[in-house]
Amino acid sequence: MISRIARKEFTEMLRDGRFRLLAGMVLVISILALAAGWKNYAELSRQHAAAQQETRDQWLKQDKKNPHSAAHYGVYAFKPKSQLAMVDTGVDPYMGVAVWLEAHKQNEFKFRPAQDRTAVQRFGELTGAEVLQVLLPLFIVLMTFAAFAGEREQGTLRQLLSIGVSRRSLALGKALGVAMALGLILIPSTVLAIVALALSSENGLVSGDPARGVLLGLIYLLYFAVMIALSLAVSARARSSRLALVALLSFWFANSLVASRAASDIAGWLFPTPSAVEFQKAMEADLNNEAEMRERLDRRRAELLRQYNVDTIEALPIAFSGISMQEGEEHGNEVFDRHYGRLFDRYEQQNRVYQLGGVLAPLLSVRALSMGLAGTDFDQHRHFATAAESYRRDIQRVMNGDIAANQKRGQVYLADHTLWEQVPDFEYTAPSTTWVLTNHTISLSILVFWGVAASFFMLRSAVAAKVD
Amino acid sequence: MLSATNLSKRYNDVIALDALNLTVQPGEVFCLLGANGAGKTTTINLFLNFIEPSSGTATINGIDVTKEPLETKKYVAYIPETVMLYRNLTGLENLEYFAALAGRPDYTRAQLLEFMKRVGLPDGAADRRVGTYSKGMRQKVGIAIALAKGAKALLLDEPTSGLDPKASNEFSALLKQLSADGVAILMATHDLFRAKESGTRVGIMKHGKLVAVHGTAEFTHADLERLYLEHMHD
Repeated sequence: MISRIARKEFTEMLRDGRFRLLAGMVLVISILALAAGWKNYAELSRQHAAAQQETRDQWLKQDKKNPHSAAHYGVYAFKPKSQLAMVDTGVDPYMGVAVWLEAHKQNEFKFRPAQDRTAVQRFGELTGAEVLQVLLPLFIVLMTFAAFAGEREQGTLRQLLSIGVSRRSLALGKALGVAMALGLILIPSTVLAIVALALSSENGLVSGDPARGVLLGLIYLLYFAVMIALSLAVSARARSSRLALVALLSFWFANSLVASRAASDIAGWLFPTPSAVEFQKAMEADLNNEAEMRERLDRRRAELLRQYNVDTIEALPIAFSGISMQEGEEHGNEVFDRHYGRLFDRYEQQNRVYQLGGVLAPLLSVRALSMGLAGTDFDQHRHFATAAESYRRDIQRVMNGDIAANQKRGQVYLADHTLWEQVPDFEYTAPSTTWVLTNHTISLSILVFWGVAASFFMLRSAVAAKVD
Repeated sequence: MLSATNLSKRYNDVIALDALNLTVQPGEVFCLLGANGAGKTTTINLFLNFIEPSSGTATINGIDVTKEPLETKKYVAYIPETVMLYRNLTGLENLEYFAALAGRPDYTRAQLLEFMKRVGLPDGAADRRVGTYSKGMRQKVGIAIALAKGAKALLLDEPTSGLDPKASNEFSALLKQLSADGVAILMATHDLFRAKESGTRVGIMKHGKLVAVHGTAEFTHADLERLYLEHMHD
């Protein structure tokens, strides 16, 4: 019965010229967005791989020089792009994907394309995620607003209900019909995306966890189900199809255009972050805390003198300059951990507010989950930043340790490639899917709740729908 | 087959239907006459369970329509003033769809075409979209749906108003066939001539009350008109 209703709804849509035009346009836009995302992904991942190789080569091919010079010479670390990032670029354009690892400093990330754009351009960027999150729900609204209200206005609802069809079956059949129409757009797009990846990727079709892609797909299907159920419920309850359309467009507008902005503003108001200048100033003040530095150095010196049982640092079998530089690093690391830790914790608190906003606007939950599964959310940015920073600290430890061990008093000490090779290549392993999902339990629960609530709302509304 | 017992419907202070008692037997054509707002459509809506009765019961085939709304609808077909169909589907597709929803998804194309033929739809019309149909053709599809459904009762709400005399006549002929096949028919109408022609009994309604019931055999058309007008005077 349900499939029979769905088939009829689908046939009717296919015969409607307005539907064909609309679906055709949405399909073209989806493919354009995918193509742009794919091009972006293919280019960036190629550039990153090349740059990562180049920075490693440059490091290894350094001339003989003092290890501290090498530490200043530094290396770049690039956040690897997951294939799903071609659908959802997430925070990458805002947070950046590359960081320069050098002596004394935990740097901010570089290459943030969003920095170079005007607000209007930011808004206009067409990504797969935008199509899935904003355009397709609009398509769903336009497909469903008249589902019940329109039939009521035309009088076919009377005819239909006089036949003795159950209202629940009717609602489910209509929902399935819209889902079939949506499939006309989703299936070709998904097939194209998979083919594009298969043809372009050197790492094979699926690099990383295939479960991520499947989950991402399921999240979006659940979101579409929520939108379809809500639209049908409103259509069943609204007095006219015109009112249903107005109500649904208002919800769509609030959900997709207002909610995200409002949630960010509220999160920023509840958990304010310092401006970049304030942040740098406060951090530099702590870094330049001479008293603390001196105390730390004095302590270390006393420790070493006791350990080697000598009276002066000149009498130490190791070069104290290496030790003191490492102490400087350790001091800096504590300051960085404190300041970046506080800043990143703030971001995470803001994120939590944003996720909770999903209770009012389901798109917020979807957005968080989508970025998470695409590997482009803030948590994974932080995960990478932490790994890169830890690599930077390793380099400093190796360089300073080498100075301490090998530098002789009154001599110029130069290290060569054997030292450079002691620093392993930067290997980054992205967090597991489970790790991602654990971070997003709030969003996931909220979205599932929406799914259940919207289904109930749809069925109840269908039962309560007036005949005329 | 169709039976109302003290069936009443009140909207706040307005009484739309006041303690209607009525039974339509298989093969009977009961015509409800009366001015607009007399309660004819309310009666039909109550049988379809589109509105809840304030008191009393309506039964179809002995089953209370409020208790088993889906079960009772299996036995009836409903034909309003204009049968509303899906304009982007062909007549045959509409028939097939409604028959399937009525629990008969098993008809072959030939069988469905046979129904279309029996109600007198012109050749070739079955595969045209309903958007191109005249009102008379839509009413015929309505009857075809009733046939396909195997309905034992028909609820008709002014099914011939606005039809040209020929179409109206064809429609009445179809009703006669159905009643000869044992279908119970309840028809609300303004058309005294049709009521006399195709009805077996007429009931006159006024302000929600059924004020008179007569067999059509007792009257000439002129008698019926006189009787009707008498009741319409306050």
